[in-house]
Amino acid sequence: MSPSFKLQYHFVLIFLMALRGENRYLELREATDHDPFLLFGANLKRELAGEPLYRRALRCLDMLSLPGQFTFTADRPQLHCAAFLIAEPEEFITIHYDLVSIDCQGGDFLKVFDGWILKGEKFPSSQDHPLPTTERYIDFCDSGLSRRSIRSSQNVAMIFFRVHEPGNGFTFSIRTDPNLFPCNAISQTPSGRFTLVVPHLRQNCSFSIIYPVVIKISDLTLGHLHGLQFKNPSAGCGGIGDFVELLGGPGLDPSKMMPLADLCYSFHGPAQMKIGCDNTVVRMVSSGKHINRVTFEYRQLEPYELENPSGNSIQEICLSSL
Amino acid sequence: MRLPLLLSAGVLLVALLPCPPCRALLSREPIPGARQAPQHPQPLDFFQLPQQPQQPQQPQARPVLLRMGEEYFLRLGNLNKSPAAPLLPASSPVAGGSGSRLSPDEAAANFFRALLQQLPLPRRPLDSPASPAERRAENALGSRQEIPERERRSEEPPISLDLTFHLLREVLEMARAEQLAQQAHSNRKLMEIIGK
Repeated sequence: MSPSFKLQYHFVLIFLMALRGENRYLELREATDHDPFLLFGANLKRELAGEPLYRRALRCLDMLSLPGQFTFTADRPQLHCAAFLIAEPEEFITIHYDLVSIDCQGGDFLKVFDGWILKGEKFPSSQDHPLPTTERYIDFCDSGLSRRSIRSSQNVAMIFFRVHEPGNGFTFSIRTDPNLFPCNAISQTPSGRFTLVVPHLRQNCSFSIIYPVVIKISDLTLGHLHGLQFKNPSAGCGGIGDFVELLGGPGLDPSKMMPLADLCYSFHGPAQMKIGCDNTVVRMVSSGKHINRVTFEYRQLEPYELENPSGNSIQEICLSSL
Repeated sequence: MRLPLLLSAGVLLVALLPCPPCRALLSREPIPGARQAPQHPQPLDFFQLPQQPQQPQQPQARPVLLRMGEEYFLRLGNLNKSPAAPLLPASSPVAGGSGSRLSPDEAAANFFRALLQQLPLPRRPLDSPASPAERRAENALGSRQEIPERERRSEEPPISLDLTFHLLREVLEMARAEQLAQQAHSNRKLMEIIGK
């Protein structure tokens, strides 16, 4: 091969290699040019997409009820911190660690609890939650980023954290996912309406309202739907069979609350009860043999209603806690 | 001939010139997934740092009573530990049970002061024994009583927070207000976009 031919050959090869790279660049540009939203700014694109990410700093004691990104940075040693997370009753909460900078060896911790725990009392109770208590705590220092995304089993969760060194901290994002058949939930509001459905599942479900309320049950179905209503009680309301119970008490754990009423029969029509306790729970016990449903409304008791109990009210049990 | 001589002299000069003390760059960035490596690569530096000087303007806040889970024992707050309250800047006086309308952060801080005042805070004996590992660490690093006591994470049972329902509702209502404000903001943005 003559030297001049070699030179030309090499030149052609180099040219082809360069052009190939340039082609890729042009392909990328073309794809970008075809983006119909390219004319819009990034903010507007995000707005059109629907949901700009909400961001704020996390406090040592905090309650989060909306999706977003939250950052905690210790300005000094923060040793006793917790954040309550709550979503709508028909939503799950997903926590995703974006950035964690803590010193696990130095005593820092970051734990997610599946539920709420207050004064040692858990919601959902141990009886109503699918996991044992120890497994409801997910410790970042144990699992690391292998469990970077954690989804709750109901609409509430908690994060406990301790950070010794100023400047350390973490960032996490909260997202909510729909829950088609919410089983355990805490109401965000002192008034509202909810339908608890347990479709052929052997589980106990609780709906908690952390206010003194008057509760009105408008519909209760224990048994099969589509006309096959079971008129007789569900094999007894003594804890056997399917039934609904109203609980009241000063704590969070339904298993430690006082049963105020048992509903063993299906009925249509409002049944009202005033419960002057710090926490009111509607709990459905299901065997899994039937589709059970209960619809109820609730509103917070006014102060004058608490002071002057009228008919069909149960307050004596909880008066001392008010 | 002179050129190599000059070059050699220059190299010797550079080698023998005093340089500023070399310091390792402290990185605070986490190493994802690397649990073996500590998140903060300089724990020794932290222990050797002097205690943050007490700000005389800030009163000594009481710690929050932290109660252990029902299956485990009660662990009481330690006065040697920093409180959990995100206090307002030092210039703001401590006010208990404030009912005035403040910014969300100030309201949260005031709410937390109300929490501190409502909770019973029994003293933990100052001579309560620390874990042997903590004692060894403290002795090895030459720390004094100013260094905050650290529990061993592996020995720590599940925890819960001691909070009254009243305060829980306060925090919940603040969260709801924040949610509604954000929803209003989103609605306003949407209306602006639609109007364009």
